[in-house]
Amino acid sequence: MTTNATSAPPTYMTAKGFTLTAGFWMTVATFMGLLGATELIAPDLTENIGWVVFGRVRPIHVNLVLFGFVTPGLLAAAFYYLPRILRTELFSEMLGVVTVVLWNLVLIGVVVTLAAGYTQGREYAEMIWPVDMGVVLIFSLVLINFLMTVVRRKEPMLYVSVWYACAGIVLTATTFSLGNVIWRPDTGALVGIPDAILLWFYGHNVFGLLLTPLAAGVAYYVIPRACKTPLYSHTLSLLGFWSLIVVYTHIGTHHLLQVPVPTWLKVISIVDSVAMVIPVMAFLINIWYTAKGRLGEIHNDIGAKFVFTGTIMYFFVSIQGSIMALPQVQRITHFNNWVVAHAHVGVLGFAGMISLGGLYYILPRITNKPLFSRFLADFQYWMILIGVVGFTVVLTIAGLIQGNAWYNGETIYRVLPEIHMYYITRASIGLLVFSSAVLGLYNIIRTLYFNPGEKLS
Amino acid sequence: MYYPYFLTYMALGLGITLIVFSWALRKGQFNDQQRARYLPLHPAPDPPPPKPSRFIRLEVLVLFVMAGLGLAASAAVILFALVHGN
Repeated sequence: MTTNATSAPPTYMTAKGFTLTAGFWMTVATFMGLLGATELIAPDLTENIGWVVFGRVRPIHVNLVLFGFVTPGLLAAAFYYLPRILRTELFSEMLGVVTVVLWNLVLIGVVVTLAAGYTQGREYAEMIWPVDMGVVLIFSLVLINFLMTVVRRKEPMLYVSVWYACAGIVLTATTFSLGNVIWRPDTGALVGIPDAILLWFYGHNVFGLLLTPLAAGVAYYVIPRACKTPLYSHTLSLLGFWSLIVVYTHIGTHHLLQVPVPTWLKVISIVDSVAMVIPVMAFLINIWYTAKGRLGEIHNDIGAKFVFTGTIMYFFVSIQGSIMALPQVQRITHFNNWVVAHAHVGVLGFAGMISLGGLYYILPRITNKPLFSRFLADFQYWMILIGVVGFTVVLTIAGLIQGNAWYNGETIYRVLPEIHMYYITRASIGLLVFSSAVLGLYNIIRTLYFNPGEKLS
Repeated sequence: MYYPYFLTYMALGLGITLIVFSWALRKGQFNDQQRARYLPLHPAPDPPPPKPSRFIRLEVLVLFVMAGLGLAASAAVILFALVHGN
């Protein structure tokens, strides 16, 4: 399947499939978020409708955002840029298409089982064993396609995006299998504190070692191309990559600083959380210096605009994350809406923005036609930007109120009325983000299938 | 049985990292960093974008109204809560 002089032009079926997957599940995922936020304002809204109570809606929202929207969007871009950087063809489009189909079946399984109340009850690892195995399978298929494409490459040097894409899949397959305790199908869990430790290695790394590397890979490809300039420093990018791989695998225990886990493990997690400044700044300095003086080019390309904004969000969420790992700070910020704000900056503002940027960057290139509507894409950009900033402000304020109240011994029922206003605002912003997802899906479908634009030469 | 699981996790991560890093070192992946900077630019950078798609005016209007209604609904909810809160 390697390139030769007579080979047909690539069909990009896998990239198209993942693009459509991301667009569709973004609408479902954001609707679930909106529904959950509404239930926090009006808990009786879905009374007696078991499959949409908050306890089921929330994990569906989280898992769909992670595996339904952001990851497929980043994979769509990866399936496009990997063969190009490696100067070969994708190992198997057929395998890619099968992966996309299975991926969607797994996502349907996620929704149906969680809505029906089948859960392992571990945060971010709620899915039951058969669905877990489905996730392991689809990541294994992606890994085979990636690695075989690397093996058959014509370009001997591995660009940093290739490192990030492959590492993201390898580490996630490992993290997911261990974190979900897949060797215990009945419970999917260990017992007691060891389970909490393992779960939070997983809970943090399923975002940090999946979304971060895949998003960094997309940024390292899109920004130099959009700016029509070489990367500022490939050496610096590799320094960032290897330090991320070494540091990030150890920091999950910073979720358990108030729990009786071994002190040395807490110390490792705090030190490495602060050390995350190294890979983060290596990445950001590299991307920003590459784009220095070329912001006009970035503004002209809607994909690059999303990606570049995502890198700015990465700065905020990473610095915030390092500071939040300090015990003195965490006494106020943990177990309340501050963390929810942090999660939204990270997953929607950073990885979600870059995922959408990757989609909008590749769409004209995989369809050989211009984007159906630049206007709609720009509109979606502003809706999401306003949404992320809104979530951050509102939930951070609510979190600080909760954190201070609980720190001073205030009871929960007295605090809830104080943050009611912020919950209403959060739900209204959720409506905004859901609307943007619908616009995005429409734009994607029109670009892929009903595009009146002229074919590119 | 307290430590084995997360020690396994960390050891596995470190082990994979060391194996892949030594492979990269042996294969000279870190040798020609100047050339690597240009890899995303192959093949040549994209040409300037063509004219945008023909976009039906009515479609823009309908979508804009829909999005506008979403924004207005958000603003109305906030205003209502501000006025009638507590």
